[in-house]
Amino acid sequence: MTSAKTSVMTIVRTESLSRVYNPDTVPVHALRDVSIEIDEGEFTALRGPSGSGKTTLLNMIGGLDKPTEGKVFINDHEISNMKDGARIDFRLHNIGFVFQHYNLIPVFTAAENVAFIMMLQHRNKREIQERTDKLLRQVGLGDRQDARPAQLSGGQQQRVAVARALASEPRFILADEPTANLDTEAAMNLLDIMEKMNREQNITFVFSTHDQRVIDRARRVITMVDGAISQDETQHQS
Amino acid sequence: MKTLITLSWRNIWRHPARSGVLLAAVMAGLWAGVLTVGLVNGLMHQRIDYLIESEITHAQVHHPEFLAEGYSWLYLPDHEAISDWLAQDARVRSFTSRTLTDGMLQSPVKTAGVRIRGIDLTTERQTTNFHENLIVGDYLDTDIRNAIMIGERLASEHNVEIGNRVVLTFEDVENELISASFNIVGLFRSASADYDQRNVFIRSDEFNALLSETAVYHEIGIMLTDQALAGELVDELNAAFPNIHAQTWRQLSPELSMMVELGGVMVVLITVIIMTALAFGILNTMLMALFERMREIGVLISIGMSRGRVFGMIMLEAMMLTMAGAVGGMILATLSINYFKDRGLNLEMFAEGAAQIGWDHIIYPSLAMGEYLAILAVVIFITLVASVYPAYKGIRINPLDAARDA
Ligand SMILES: Nc1ncnc2c1ncn2[C@@H]1O[C@H](COP(=O)(O)OP(=O)(O)O)[C@@H](O)[C@H]1O
Ligand SMILES: [Mg+2]
Repeated sequence: MTSAKTSVMTIVRTESLSRVYNPDTVPVHALRDVSIEIDEGEFTALRGPSGSGKTTLLNMIGGLDKPTEGKVFINDHEISNMKDGARIDFRLHNIGFVFQHYNLIPVFTAAENVAFIMMLQHRNKREIQERTDKLLRQVGLGDRQDARPAQLSGGQQQRVAVARALASEPRFILADEPTANLDTEAAMNLLDIMEKMNREQNITFVFSTHDQRVIDRARRVITMVDGAISQDETQHQS
Repeated sequence: MKTLITLSWRNIWRHPARSGVLLAAVMAGLWAGVLTVGLVNGLMHQRIDYLIESEITHAQVHHPEFLAEGYSWLYLPDHEAISDWLAQDARVRSFTSRTLTDGMLQSPVKTAGVRIRGIDLTTERQTTNFHENLIVGDYLDTDIRNAIMIGERLASEHNVEIGNRVVLTFEDVENELISASFNIVGLFRSASADYDQRNVFIRSDEFNALLSETAVYHEIGIMLTDQALAGELVDELNAAFPNIHAQTWRQLSPELSMMVELGGVMVVLITVIIMTALAFGILNTMLMALFERMREIGVLISIGMSRGRVFGMIMLEAMMLTMAGAVGGMILATLSINYFKDRGLNLEMFAEGAAQIGWDHIIYPSLAMGEYLAILAVVIFITLVASVYPAYKGIRINPLDAARDA
């Protein structure tokens, strides 16, 4: 390790992660002995063919699922052995999620979707309002605050989802195939926003994708094959 | 919390038809239930008030054994002292002394056992409104000697009418058998056909002339300024006069006492029955709402909504939906009750049967605040019970299901 690297904080660290689905019937080894570190400020893509274990790995890092073997540390907290309730609370304060299907609350407006997570954090009303306003402007939806998800395009919904993920001031954001349902223009627009936040606010992003245009924009690309990491490279921005 | 309420409320209206049907069902159920409770309640209060005001009064005083035995020699000791005591008590609105004994009424047709009630016309009229039951003739206030007022029903059974004579036979205070003839001056009809068959009224001074050398009284009926004072007044009377037995209307009439208690049980019972039927509707609606939102709830748990809050959210949704219907139904019922409160609901069709057992055929429904609250408590309780299962299902959702490809 270089001295330059140690000055940066490691946010995520996994130790020999394995995940076996259906161990009693037809075992599926979705993850095999995965050890990675993700540092603060990274803009990292997780790529690999369908079924290679990207979602499984993101679920482990996000504390949505427990490994069969191995450990997951977020800022030196081991989340892989936390109780369910503690893990939910940990997610609320430390991890932002963006899903492939946007998954906004349909009865809430854009602003309410963003504000809700802060309400769960018991923040005060004024702070919630100001932050919601700021975030929606950052994702270019300052004028669509009162729109319901159904009134927004896929790209706009995903931008609301990014704003929601950021609202809780998490340590990092996990996005599982965030652009899979978007057309090229919307996908690039979303990437622009994420990149800008990463650059200007040092927000850490880890996203899975098999879209080459998205992979091209990542600074670090981790390639998975059959549940294991086959390649881990840092690429220079073009 | 406000956000959760907003969320729940909007979730309810995602399916206006489905929620609307449940809302309407709860509303209709509560309307019918509360109105029924109001009618039952009104009917019972009418019966209670009627019996208190026409005869029983708020409290009565007897010789300790009189009510069980009915003999004329079990008259009240200390009658004068008790009267003075009552006359000076501010809680006593009025009171009347009665001379009673069980005896036989004989007509040319047949003989029947009756209770002979010797009343004081002036004080009886001040204390009770039994005089309102007179349907023909005079309320004993005539110059005719040995006047008697009997039930219309008894008169027709004995085939006698006003102007006819009947013979009363009874034992005097010395245990001697006395017979005297009385002139029918009036016929009455109270709310109880049974009562009308078993009670006859004469003037107490004439009764006393036959019974005893000095005037004797077997009962004092007491009306108070407020019926709630009956308990304490009776206690004080019993303490002051150990030789007598004073009782409240509830002690005197187990029928009335039971009715008061039954009234309270009925409120809860009717509401429980209606709400239990509605509970299945609530359960069904909430399960449907839950199953179509599994993914959404999974997302909420993923982003950090605790399972406790998810549980609360589902319960809140059920509660708001049911309460909206319940409150709506209760408002409708209150309007209906208010409409009939003074006008009365005429059940003449069934009046013949009602009169037999001593009930009015016009019902004035009424419901007190406490009863509304009892109904609300039942609604809340059953809604909670009905939504526990959907809420439990909700918190068992695995957040991974949310992230999985649709
Ligand atoms: N819940 C599950 N039960 C059984 N097998 C699963 C489950 N989830 C994923 N798998 C399997 O695990 C492997 C990795 O899946 P996944 O992590 O979803 O890959 P990716 O996201 O890269 O497409 C696949 O073979 C998949 O079929
Ligand atoms: Mg996947």
